[in-house]
Amino acid sequence: MGIVKIFYKDDCPLCPMAKKLKDHLREKNVTVDDFNVGTTEGLAEATFYRVMALPTILVEDESENSLGEWRGNVPHIDEVLSAVQSA
Amino acid sequence: METTDLNLFVRTSEESISGWDRSKIVDALIRETLIDRDTAGEISKEVEQMIRKSGIQVITAPLIRELVNARLIEKGLENSRKMHTRLGMPLYDVDSLILHPNKENANVPHGPEATNLTLAEGIKKEYALLSVFSQEVADAHMNGDIHLHDLGFVDRPYCSGQSLEYIKKFGLDLPHSLSMAKPAKHPEVLLAHLVKFAAALQSHFAGAIGWDAINIFFAPYVEGMSDNDVKQLAQMLIFEFSQQAVARGGQAIFTDINIYWEIPKHFVNVPAIGPGGKFTGKTYGEYEKEAQRFAWKLFEVYKEGDGAGRPFFFPKPIVHITEKFFHTDGHMDFLNLISDVASDKGNTYYVFDRGETAKISECCRLSFKLEESDLLDAKEPWRMRYCALQNVSLNLPRLAYMAKNDDTRLFNLITERFLLAVRAHKEKRAFMEKLLSLGENGPLALLTMNRDGMPYLRFNHASHLIGMVGLNEMVQIHTGEEMHVSKKALKFGIKAIAHMNLLTDHMRRQENMKIVLEQTPAESTSYRFARLDLRYFSPHSGRIMKGDIASGEVYYTNSTHLNVKQAMNPIERVTTEGLFHPLIEAGSISHVWLGEAQPSKEAIADFVIKTFKHTTNDQIAFSPEFTTCNKCHRTGRGLADACSYCGSTDVDGITRITGYFTKVSSWNKGKLGELKDRYRNVEYFSEKRKAANE
Repeated sequence: MGIVKIFYKDDCPLCPMAKKLKDHLREKNVTVDDFNVGTTEGLAEATFYRVMALPTILVEDESENSLGEWRGNVPHIDEVLSAVQSA
Repeated sequence: METTDLNLFVRTSEESISGWDRSKIVDALIRETLIDRDTAGEISKEVEQMIRKSGIQVITAPLIRELVNARLIEKGLENSRKMHTRLGMPLYDVDSLILHPNKENANVPHGPEATNLTLAEGIKKEYALLSVFSQEVADAHMNGDIHLHDLGFVDRPYCSGQSLEYIKKFGLDLPHSLSMAKPAKHPEVLLAHLVKFAAALQSHFAGAIGWDAINIFFAPYVEGMSDNDVKQLAQMLIFEFSQQAVARGGQAIFTDINIYWEIPKHFVNVPAIGPGGKFTGKTYGEYEKEAQRFAWKLFEVYKEGDGAGRPFFFPKPIVHITEKFFHTDGHMDFLNLISDVASDKGNTYYVFDRGETAKISECCRLSFKLEESDLLDAKEPWRMRYCALQNVSLNLPRLAYMAKNDDTRLFNLITERFLLAVRAHKEKRAFMEKLLSLGENGPLALLTMNRDGMPYLRFNHASHLIGMVGLNEMVQIHTGEEMHVSKKALKFGIKAIAHMNLLTDHMRRQENMKIVLEQTPAESTSYRFARLDLRYFSPHSGRIMKGDIASGEVYYTNSTHLNVKQAMNPIERVTTEGLFHPLIEAGSISHVWLGEAQPSKEAIADFVIKTFKHTTNDQIAFSPEFTTCNKCHRTGRGLADACSYCGSTDVDGITRITGYFTKVSSWNKGKLGELKDRYRNVEYFSEKRKAANE
C-alpha cells in the first residue's frame, strides 16, 4: 500500500477540498500524512518535495518512490486509491 | 612644562604644540559627555597631577584622553567614558596596513588609495559599533554570534539595483557636481554617463551596483549601427567597467549587468526612450533584435577576454533564463554562445526566472523579486531602483555547539539570533533615516535627489537581508552527519531554513519592513566565524571546522551549500543545493567548480536546460581556473606555480572567490583553505566530452 502526503495551507482556496480528501482516505484505512506549510515541519517537507503549488497530493511506496502526484489540484479519490494500490 | 597636541584634543585641524591647559579637559568632558562641571574639574585635576608626577615633557592629546577615560571608569561613569571614546588605530596597525595588502575583500588592491579606504573603514567600524548599534547588537557582532556586513560603510546602504532609463531620461545631473549633462544623444555618451553614474553610486553604496536589462535599454541607441560598431560599443562598456580600478579605495566598481535574450513580458509594451531622452514612438518589444544584437556582441567580447586573455572580473554578466527564453527565436544559438563563454572564461551567470517570476539580480547572488507594484513601475522603468539597506549573517554552527543536540534549544537559539538581526536592521534603518533626512545638504545628497517626484533612493522599497553561514556544519554538529551524507541530515538542514523563512514572514508583518533571507557570500565572514569558534568552542569546533587548522586556513561552508570537498555529480549538487533556494527569496547560487576542465558549450547548455527544467535552483555559475603570467602576459588553464608558456614563476592564479573572479594572491586564509578543498568536476565533464566525440 502506498502512503499519501497532502500539503496544504490555511488560506488556500482548494485546500479545504484536500482536507476532505484526507478524511475520506483515512476512512478507507489509507495512511495519510498531512503537512501545513505554515509550520516549520510542513514547509520543510514541502520544500524537500519541491511543492510549488497548493494543495499538493503525493503518493509514495515505502521506499519513497513516487506512485502518483497532483500539484495545485485535488484529484478524485478513486485516482488516489488507484495509485495507493499500485504499490 | 606639559604640552599637548591640541589639534586632536580640541578637535581643530591645526597641527600644533600648545601649552598645557587643564580647562580643555573640562571643556571636552562637558561638551562630549553628560557629567557635571564639578566632576569634570575634579577629573582634570587628577589627570594633571598624574602627568606632573610622571615628569614627562611632552604628552599627546590621545594619551590625555585615555587618562581621562581611566578616571571615568574608576568613578563608574561608563556611559560617559563611551561618549568620550577616541576612535583610531595603533601605530603598529597603521604601519602594517600601509605596507601589507588588506585581505578582507579580494576586490581591494594594495595602494595608497586602498590604505585610505581601510583606515577610514576602521574608524567607521568603531563608530558603528559604538554609536549606531546598541551594545547588545555590537557585542553579538564582536563575539561572532552575528556578522554585520560592511560596517566600514555604515553610513550608506548595502547594495542596489539600478535602471539605465534614469540617466537616459534625466541625463547626468547630480547634486553638487561641477557640470550638468543633458540626456545622451549618442551611444558612446550614454555609455560615459553610465560609467560615471555607476562610479558616483559606488561611493554611496557599500556593495554591488546592478543594472537591469542593459542590452534592452541600450537597444534604441544601437539601432542603425553596424555590427562592428555595436561590437566596439560592447567592448568599451566591458573595458570601462573592468578598468575602473580608480573608484573608491582603488577598487573596481562592483558592477553587474542583467541581460535578456527575449524582451521580458513586463517591458514588451513599455514606450522606449531613445537619444536625447525622447520617446522613440516604439515599445521595447519592437527593439528585440537590437537588444539581441548588443547582448551577442557583449558575449563575443567576454569570450575574447582582456588583453592577456584573462576573464574580465567586472562587469559580471547575469543572463536571465525565463520560460519565454525558450520560445524566442535564436535562443539555442545564444545559449551556446554564453555557455561557450562560461566554459572558456567562466563569466556567465545563469539566473532562472521560472513561471511568472521577474527579478533584478546583482552582487554575488542577491536579487530583488519584482512584486506587483514593481511590475507597475516597469511601465516607467526609470523608477525601478532598489536597494538592500544592510546584511546581517547568523553564525549557525555556533548555535549547534550551544544547543548540545537539543532540537528545541537549537530552534529557540535560531529565533533569538534572528530577532537580534532584525534589531540590528532597525538600528541601521533609524541611522539611515537620520542621514537621508538631511536631504541634498546631507552626506547622502545623491540618494535624496528628486527628479521624478520621489527621492532617488526609494527607502520604502528597501530590503533588509538576513543571511546564514555554515548550515552544513550546524547540521553536522547537531545530527552527526553532513547534509550530503543522508536524507535525514539534508531534511534537518531544510527544516532550519524553513524555520528562518517563516520567521522572515512573521517579522516582516510585525515590523512592516521588507526582511528577506539571502545566501550570504561571506567572503570573509565564513573565515571570521570559524576563527572565533575555534577560540570559544574548542576542542569541539576543531573537529568540525573545514580547512586546515595547522595553517590557520579554516572556514565554515558557505550559506546553505554542501561541503565543497565532497566528490559529487554536479547535477546532483545543483539539484540538492537548489532545494533550499525557494526558501531564500533574496537570492541563491550554486557553483560548479571546473578546475582545468573545459566542457563543450553543448554540455554546459544541456546542463543549464536541465537545471531550469528539473530543479528549483535559482542561479548557477561555472568556474574555471587560470594562471596568468606577469612576465609574458599570457594566460593558461588551471592553477599552476609557473607559467606554462615561459616558465616564469611570477604568476597569479585567477578564479572565482565567491561571486566574482579575482587573483588568488589577494584571498584571505579561509578562502585559500576552501580553494584547496574544492572538488573540481573535471571527470564529469571529461566523460561528457568523450561521449559527445563518440
